[in-house]
Amino acid sequence: MAKARARTGGWSAIWHLLGLVAPGVIWIVVFLVAPAAYLMTIAFMTNGSYGLPEMPLTLAAFKQLAGYGFLGWSPANLYVVGRTLAQTVLATAAVILIAYPVAFYISRAPARLRPLMLLLVVVPSWTNQVIRAIGWMNILAPGTPMADLAAALGFISPHLGLYPSQFAVALGLVYNFLPFMVLPLYAVFERLDTAQIDAARDLGAGTWDAFRHGVLPQTLPGLAAGTVLVAIPAFGMYVIPELLGGGKNLMLGSLVARQFAAASNWPFGAAAALIMIVATLVGLMVLRRLGRRLGGDSGVML
Amino acid sequence: MRVIWYAVLVMLYAPLAVVVLYSFNSVNSSAEFVDVSLRWYRALFADDSILSAAWNSAVLALVSSVIATAVGTAMGYGLYAHRDRRLGWLIALIYLPIIMPDIVYGIAQLSFFSRLASATGAFDLGLGTMIIAHVSFQAPFVALLVYSRLVGLDPRLFDACSDLYAGAWQRARFFILPTLQPAIVAGFFLALTLSIDDFVISYFTSGPESVTLPIFIWSAIKRGVSPEINAIATLMIGTVFAAAAITLAFQYVRARRIAS
Repeated sequence: MAKARARTGGWSAIWHLLGLVAPGVIWIVVFLVAPAAYLMTIAFMTNGSYGLPEMPLTLAAFKQLAGYGFLGWSPANLYVVGRTLAQTVLATAAVILIAYPVAFYISRAPARLRPLMLLLVVVPSWTNQVIRAIGWMNILAPGTPMADLAAALGFISPHLGLYPSQFAVALGLVYNFLPFMVLPLYAVFERLDTAQIDAARDLGAGTWDAFRHGVLPQTLPGLAAGTVLVAIPAFGMYVIPELLGGGKNLMLGSLVARQFAAASNWPFGAAAALIMIVATLVGLMVLRRLGRRLGGDSGVML
Repeated sequence: MRVIWYAVLVMLYAPLAVVVLYSFNSVNSSAEFVDVSLRWYRALFADDSILSAAWNSAVLALVSSVIATAVGTAMGYGLYAHRDRRLGWLIALIYLPIIMPDIVYGIAQLSFFSRLASATGAFDLGLGTMIIAHVSFQAPFVALLVYSRLVGLDPRLFDACSDLYAGAWQRARFFILPTLQPAIVAGFFLALTLSIDDFVISYFTSGPESVTLPIFIWSAIKRGVSPEINAIATLMIGTVFAAAAITLAFQYVRARRIAS
């Protein structure tokens, strides 16, 4: 029916499509795309006396981001960008290492149990970000078993907690984004063609070679989709570094937020946010490519 | 493999369990648990600012979820019915709110709404702008959920409708809406949990009068975690788990209906 209409319907079919998607499309364009575009123009404006953007257009915000200020050049901002990148890469790698076996395990479980197992993975991410961070603050605080254990092993000095620290931020990021990797990986594992593994085995492949040639290539689309869904939001993460990282472990998200709150320098904040918008657009392009390869099932990437 | 699975489950639920546990602690400490006590819950229900924050959260979540469910369901169905067209732009538009970092999302809307407010006098930051912001990230999730349920249907069912001379309205009323009902209900609850889950976007689009629970908690923990905060958090965790249970129940009912 849908196919027939798409081929024969002409204008009435196009009105049918527009009537259905227009409210959502207009909502997203007006209240998200337009604001993001406005934010991008702010990045090129002058910082006014109250921190609000003014004309004329300038590249001053980008110079400030690169480290040029009243006092000459300083690497502080570049350190923030570098630290953010390092945390993102580390967290994404850790998430992949954990999510890969988990997704595989779920895909091999009895069919009746799988929805429940997926739900078990996803439900914690439905609770508020701030609450999840509080949970880790409770666990990593000074005097808790975890902190005492770390102190006994000599990782931290006694009477200090495990947070605020880079470690706590990394842990928080992994915790936060694990489901975003498990779901797309599960989607590819569910349709894994095991004949390819058998073929590799028949050709004399060991466990590692069978995995490398029989399994890994098949899971690449899910892996790539998961990486986009994890790395881009992790790069812009605000709550976790702010609560678990403390003042010394500033990440890009906090740098941006500060320019719109206390520090009040909207153009500078917008310039820093521009990096994230560019990363988002690159991620979207990757997802679109993958969507085509994954076929119509890209909807399972919830 | 099984060891990893159980280790991951422990990691996923330990932080939440700790929050729940210490909300019943009789002393103000996260290092030792002394005795079971409800004192923090009593303190909670005596605090007017917490109650009004809870009310704001509830209004925000319900209103935005109703709008997002309607808008998102239509979008998901449109995407499915016209899936043979080149709809890459639409898919990109749906994924944009899902992957855009929420800090960019929040400040983009903050700067946009405050510009609109100074230009037009409308769109002052408050519950209204928060509802608008929430719908913009909830609707895509609902659309994807509805779309993925439709993809699982036998396309010949649509042909059967037209064979029975069902018009567009009858098809919507007697086939599409009843078939999609579980997905729409699941979408509504997903939207609800997304709204309750969000902090960053709410934080930047809120005004002084529209403090919600997460914003209240945020400003409170800047002063350190207290058992009272654990108590609010426990209630919020309970809400989310209830929503999850309802979602699961709907999935099983639907599975049984299809099986029978």
